[in-house]
Amino acid sequence: MGALMAEDDIYIGPLFDLFNLRFGPEQKDIELTAGGVSEIKALQDEFEIFQEGRPFVESAKLLGLGGLNNNRAKNRWYSVLAWLAKVPSDQDGETGDQRIVNALIKNFARKSPLPCFMKAHDSRDTGGYGLQVVVREDNPVFYIERTYLTISVPMAPKVPPGGKGKKKPKK
Amino acid sequence: MRAAVVAREPASPDSGDLSRIYSGIAAYYSAKVARFGATPNGVDWTCQATQEMRFVQLLKLCDFASPFSLNDLGCGYGALIAYLGRRHDGCAVDYLGIDVSEPMVRRARRLWRNCGDTSFAIGHSSPRTADYAVASGIFNVAQDQTQHDWEQFIAASLDNLHRTTRRGFAVNFMKRPESAPARRGLYTTDTASWARYCAGRFNAIAEVHDGYGLMEFTLIVRKL
Repeated sequence: MGALMAEDDIYIGPLFDLFNLRFGPEQKDIELTAGGVSEIKALQDEFEIFQEGRPFVESAKLLGLGGLNNNRAKNRWYSVLAWLAKVPSDQDGETGDQRIVNALIKNFARKSPLPCFMKAHDSRDTGGYGLQVVVREDNPVFYIERTYLTISVPMAPKVPPGGKGKKKPKK
Repeated sequence: MRAAVVAREPASPDSGDLSRIYSGIAAYYSAKVARFGATPNGVDWTCQATQEMRFVQLLKLCDFASPFSLNDLGCGYGALIAYLGRRHDGCAVDYLGIDVSEPMVRRARRLWRNCGDTSFAIGHSSPRTADYAVASGIFNVAQDQTQHDWEQFIAASLDNLHRTTRRGFAVNFMKRPESAPARRGLYTTDTASWARYCAGRFNAIAEVHDGYGLMEFTLIVRKL
C-alpha cells in the first residue's frame, strides 16, 4: 500500500472486516453490539452520517471504522480513505470518495438497503478495474446468497503513493 | 416502535451492600478512560454515532419547549453536553453529571470547565432533585456479578432515579437475544420486566422504545 499504511498493511484485512461487519446483513437476535445494515440505516436516517460534500473518511470516523486498539494503523487507514478523493471512479465526474459517499447515500435512502462490502482490487491490473474506485451491486461473498453494495478500492504495493513518509526531492 | 406499560407490580430491591458493585464499576470505567480518553471508546461505546443514537432515544423523555434541569447518571466525560448543544441549543438545560469513576469526572470537569449550567459530582446517585434524569449504558457491563446482585444494583439505581426526579427518567438496556446464550459479563433483559417494575413501583407510565437499529431498548418512565 505504499507509504500511507506502510508496515500496517497487515491490518487492512481486519479494517475491511470492521466495515463489512458494521455494514453486513443484520444479525437478528444474535449479535449484541452491532445490528449490521439495519443499525447503519437507523443512524443514517437520524444523523445523515453520509452527506454530499462530507468526505467518506469523516463518516468513517463517526462510525469508528478505524478500529480501537492501534492508533497508528487507524490514522494511516483514515489517510488512505482521505486519499480516495484523489482517485477517479467508475462513475464519470465523481472521484472515488464521491462515488462511495453518493452510493451509500442512495443505498441507505432505500427502505431496505443492501448490506455493503468493502474490498480491494489490484490497481496494477489494467485489464481489471485499474486505479479507480468501483461500486457494484453483486455477490462478493459466494457463500452468502445476498446481493451487496460492493465497494472496491484500488491497492497495490505502492498505491497509494508515498505520503508523509516520502521525502521531497531537493531543488 | 413504542409500547406503554401502565401496570402495578410492586417489587422491592434488597438493600444489601452495593459498595462492591460500585467500586467494580468505577474501576472498570476508570481503566477505560485512562486508555481511550474522553472519547466514545473511553466510556465503552463503539462510536460517536451509536452513542448519540442512545441520546436521541433517552431524550424523548424531555420536553424541550421550556428550560429544565437534567441529571445524567453515569455521565462519563459528559458527551451528552455536546449533543445537547448541537441538537437542542435553543433550550436551556441545567445539567448535572454524576459518575462513580473519579478519573472520569475529572476529565469531564476539565472538558466542560467553560460551559455554563454544567456541573459534575462523583457518586452513584444524584445529590439533587431535577426535572429529569437519564442513564445511558449503566446496566450493561455486569462484569462478574451474579444476575441477582446485578439486578439489585439495577433496582437500587432505578429507585434513586425515581427519588431524584420530578417528571421522570430514562434508561437503556441490552435486549436479551431469544436464540443465543447471553454474552459473559453483559447484562441483557427482555423489554417487559423492568417496565413492569417501574410502572408498578413508581406509579408511573413506562414506555419501551426500540427498533432504532441497536440490539437494545430504551425505557422511559414518566411520573403520573
